[in-house]
Amino acid sequence: MSDYAHLAGHRFPGGTYTLAPWLSWLWSDACKLEPDWGTAHQGLAYLVALRGAGVSIQDIFDLMDATADSGVVFGEFQVDYHGVLRPGATYKCEAEVVDVERKSGRRAGVFDKFTFQVKVREQGSEDVTVVCTNSWIFPRAEGE
Amino acid sequence: MTAADGLHAGRRVTPFSIESVDPARIKTVAAILQDPTPMHLDPAANRARGMGGALSTQGALNMTWFVETAVRFAGGVDRLVSFKVRFLANVFAGERFECTGTITAIDGDAARAELELVATADGRPVLGGTAVIKTG
Amino acid sequence: MATREIQVGQQLEPFVIESVDPEPMKTMAAILQDPNPIHFDPASTVALGLGDKTVNQGPTNVTWLTEFVQRFAGGAEQLVTLRIRFLGNVLAGDRFECTGMVTAVDADAGTAELEVGATSDGRPALGGRAVIKISD
Repeated sequence: MSDYAHLAGHRFPGGTYTLAPWLSWLWSDACKLEPDWGTAHQGLAYLVALRGAGVSIQDIFDLMDATADSGVVFGEFQVDYHGVLRPGATYKCEAEVVDVERKSGRRAGVFDKFTFQVKVREQGSEDVTVVCTNSWIFPRAEGE
Repeated sequence: MTAADGLHAGRRVTPFSIESVDPARIKTVAAILQDPTPMHLDPAANRARGMGGALSTQGALNMTWFVETAVRFAGGVDRLVSFKVRFLANVFAGERFECTGTITAIDGDAARAELELVATADGRPVLGGTAVIKTG
Repeated sequence: MATREIQVGQQLEPFVIESVDPEPMKTMAAILQDPNPIHFDPASTVALGLGDKTVNQGPTNVTWLTEFVQRFAGGAEQLVTLRIRFLGNVLAGDRFECTGMVTAVDADAGTAELEVGATSDGRPALGGRAVIKISD
């Protein structure tokens, strides 16, 4: 039984994030896609969720007793689109841990799958724009 | 850098140059600085302002090359004492940037030298200023 | 976007990046404020035994897969869900290709399910599923 299962339901501070047009433009350009001042690429969901969640990668590592050297990797990433991200929009985000599952695989050994979810809404709107669900793999030594 | 290296007023500072300013680097600097100015991102923005179709560099980037000129001549980052720079004109992606100068004064007792530096982009003056370096 | 014939088994038009460019990885590192040097310093990838090619950031790969699905679906408004697993690294110089297939069509709901993935120089990079709208 994972020591970290109790983290399910843990809420992060959340926050707001404004998707600046210059950053949206630069994102598309860095991805070698036609940048446009009036359109944000929907791949920006990850950044909006991360920035708006009010949590840093280090905060997550601290919760899971991991460090930059622990070999933590992305597991899965899911975005549910209810609307379209827009350059210049300010987003209000809520973030929480969905669950932490202790698993083991022949190749991967023992690991914790840590899943958290961010709900992103335009400020002033009740409607959700996107929901991002992200899982990370935290390798554990046997017996940890 | 010591007097043995031929340090004297009037001696030329070794030129520092960027053969062709890279627009990709200008964009990375924009991201680092969180700078929203379109002229560092979108060539169309410069075209619209009658400045041709190339990105312009950030002042911070020009200044970094100016400082690099002084640091290389001085022989290390710990040998730069101070610098002062004026921004004269824009530098554009694709241009050849070059910073050169001369030693204008030597203070043997204090082990300092003062440099006057000037930078050009495709021959146009873009930066002017001075730097003080350690010589001992 | 008009309703169109979408059939189970239909292949999506591939999306290809012929050669992943290391320069934008630097811009992306600045945007993401991601300090991991494997994305911009080949010396660090060498030190980790990964060779001298820098590693593309996950969010860029996700953006490409999103673009791939979006083009098939006919626009950003047609996206419903995208679920992605990270299978392997995408390296500078790699040929990155997204492929996919329609696995289910729900005419009543007006949606289709796709199985999608990406390879980098032939190695599995991303795997996943998408749900898109197929009617107005």
